[in-house]
Amino acid sequence: MWTYLRRRILQSALPLIAVVLGVFVLARLTGDPSKLYLPLNATDQMREDFAARNGFDKPIWEQMGDYFLGVLRLDFGESLRTGEPAAEMALRAFPATLQLAAVTMVLAIIVAVVLGSWASLKPNGIADRIVSFFSMTAASVPDFWIAILGIWIFAITLGWLPTSGTSGPLVWILPIATLMLRPVGVLAQVVRGSMVTVLGQPYIKVARSRGAGEMHIVTKHALRNAAAPALTVAGDLAVGLVNGAVVVESIFGWPGIGKLMIDSILQRDFAVLQAAVLITALAIFALNIIIDLGYALLDPRVRPTAGTRARRRGPGAISDTKAEALTNV
Amino acid sequence: MKLSSPRRTASRASAVAAGIASIALLASCSVANSESQGGGEGGTDETLRVVLTQEPPTLEACDANLTSTGVVVRSTVTEPLVERNPSTGDLEPLLATEWEQTGDNEWTFAIREGVTFQDGTPFDAEAAAYSIDRAVNGDLGCNVEGYIFGDDDLEVEATDATTLTVTTPNPDPILPLKLSFIEIVSPETSNTEFVREPVGTGPYAIGEWQAGTKLTLDRNDDYWGDAPEFSSVEYQWRSEGTVRAAMITSGEADIALGLSAEDGIGDLGVSYPNNETIALRFSGQTAPLDDIRIRQAINYAIDREGIVSSLYPDGDKVAAQLIPEGIVGFNADLEPWPFDVEKAKSLVEEAKADGVPVDTQIIMPVRTAQFPKVSELGEVLREQLAAIGLNVELRMVDTTQHLQYQLSPFVTNEGPIAMLVQHGNQAGDAQFTVEQYMLTGGAQAEFGDPGLDELINTARTLTGEERQAAYEEAFAFERENVVALAPIAHQTVMLGLADRVTYEPNSSTGDELRIKEVSLAG
Repeated sequence: MWTYLRRRILQSALPLIAVVLGVFVLARLTGDPSKLYLPLNATDQMREDFAARNGFDKPIWEQMGDYFLGVLRLDFGESLRTGEPAAEMALRAFPATLQLAAVTMVLAIIVAVVLGSWASLKPNGIADRIVSFFSMTAASVPDFWIAILGIWIFAITLGWLPTSGTSGPLVWILPIATLMLRPVGVLAQVVRGSMVTVLGQPYIKVARSRGAGEMHIVTKHALRNAAAPALTVAGDLAVGLVNGAVVVESIFGWPGIGKLMIDSILQRDFAVLQAAVLITALAIFALNIIIDLGYALLDPRVRPTAGTRARRRGPGAISDTKAEALTNV
Repeated sequence: MKLSSPRRTASRASAVAAGIASIALLASCSVANSESQGGGEGGTDETLRVVLTQEPPTLEACDANLTSTGVVVRSTVTEPLVERNPSTGDLEPLLATEWEQTGDNEWTFAIREGVTFQDGTPFDAEAAAYSIDRAVNGDLGCNVEGYIFGDDDLEVEATDATTLTVTTPNPDPILPLKLSFIEIVSPETSNTEFVREPVGTGPYAIGEWQAGTKLTLDRNDDYWGDAPEFSSVEYQWRSEGTVRAAMITSGEADIALGLSAEDGIGDLGVSYPNNETIALRFSGQTAPLDDIRIRQAINYAIDREGIVSSLYPDGDKVAAQLIPEGIVGFNADLEPWPFDVEKAKSLVEEAKADGVPVDTQIIMPVRTAQFPKVSELGEVLREQLAAIGLNVELRMVDTTQHLQYQLSPFVTNEGPIAMLVQHGNQAGDAQFTVEQYMLTGGAQAEFGDPGLDELINTARTLTGEERQAAYEEAFAFERENVVALAPIAHQTVMLGLADRVTYEPNSSTGDELRIKEVSLAG
């Protein structure tokens, strides 16, 4: 376990540096921030002063060296836009995104498991059709449209909810409902699919022939075995949410990392962009490790080993990993 | 197959329960980033709630010429010596009571007495000198320095507590107008570092700024002028126009900025001119745009009336020049170019007959989301130019790319360029327009004309009627002999206004929303 963690962390370090390097170089290729930050009629002297003040007059490799030396001292630079330390801005925005992502994912998983199980009981039955229709719709409507529609119905027409903002418990409802739709749609289909497979397995027939109740079979026997692929997909969806729900954050005025990232890209606010990417990348690496560990928890045959991406495989693949997993125990 | 033992089941059930409980707990507390919320929601009758298009990046007073900063700071938190009346264009006394030119290069200001800063420091000529010096002469790199003063430094001296003299390197007839952009801050303010939350003399002082969420200003009870009406002002920001409009219609905000007719504001929308003018700007040294007949033809080919009535029916006006009425130098006699396709076609034919390569592809850079319906406008323009036989490629670009085209040094390796520009003259004087767009070597002028340069260079030194006449002449000359631009329309924007407040928006509302001009209705 500890060996695994240590190895994963070491493995993560390299991509992390690559990500930050990539962002560093690519961001600087997209244009000269002095044109954005100085008035249109600023003189050449002022543009030179600006570049010198912010280190843009140095060659890019030197800028990069300075940056990484700074990062080692936990100095992530200052925002061009606000003058605040970049790390402070990223750290301030990240918890808001994390809260939104966590609540959304947990609720989405609960709803999807219920819907997916219901649909799987009678493939092509009426429940299955309803769930399929709902999940297809949910997975394909644009966030933007649903968010505006939600505001129009619940805030303007009915007046039940605030349009946006961050004060009070009610403001959570619209953003979370908007964000949940896609994960619920996708996950419900995954749960349904793997439940249908599992419910057709011989051991379920055995349980049925012994007279076990349907509820008992679904919750006690089938779900646990059907959970693995759902967890895989849920993990990917969660990664997407941690990345920042840009549209939802922008519309509802949610002070999260997605909005911060987009703003810093548009404003060529390099230090903030780098800090935000770094913190998000760290979170995604952590999330991946947690998902791997969760997978092992669900299926004791799978022990996390660096290099084995067991969780990426579907239920049918579990037996293939068995031998491999056993040798690694 | 292994069945779960009852104990394990129980522990799992409790884990699920704990999970759900923790979500409920999470959901019941406020967003991590928003810290304490106080009891602000809904607001009392005396809190004015404003929703902006974006969070101010900073409230630094010497960056207050930036729209997103100035809209909060100017004439609300801090005040300048003199203030421009956006409706009349006249300068009105604020922290200076009167001023006069006391030498070729020297102006003298009488400083208002009995004013204190929000931190209790008394305001005097020394304090005014400190602020001007900090903004214009320092090494801070203040935005207002680049916007108004360029490389010129000012000599500022407090001759006594209530007299301030300002000396300019060259005669400057509009120095008081320029100083209306300098917000006066407490002498306690650092002059080596930017200060995100300035202390000024204005009717409201900065209260609490919850980054990302909300900014609150509190009434300055020691304000020297009329007592402010609201006990506090609460600013929020939403990037979506529909959401800002919804906040007005649902009663969550009193004033919403930057709306357009599509945002669903309905009867609560008030349309007002914002001093922005849209135009095509030509790279007049690249064929075929180096031929004045082609530039004239483009002007004849644009159906300005049609564009305004179909795309911008809420008050935009057809433009004949790059500044709207109300700016010093506006030429009221200039008529917009008539829409005359036949004339345009014959000009193109004529040029073609003389060997001008009229088929060369002309690039038209248009900035995504620069203003409402900008991409539709780009399409319409391209169609109308195609109709007279020109080959135009519409190129949608983002802000930074657009600036590469907009500013000197210009893009020269992409052939002829007719870019869509939006020019705002927020200073109120044509100098800020013509020296940018029409003077040879201007930062936004792709080419010039010696005759026009002479007019512009003379106009700069004049005052009063003479100045007005000189700029009028410059605009007429440009139209007749240069045609560097195809002005399209003077724009308007919309403000959302709740029933409970009264406010008369003007051309500078988007740059400085003076809270002291807002009052409760009835």
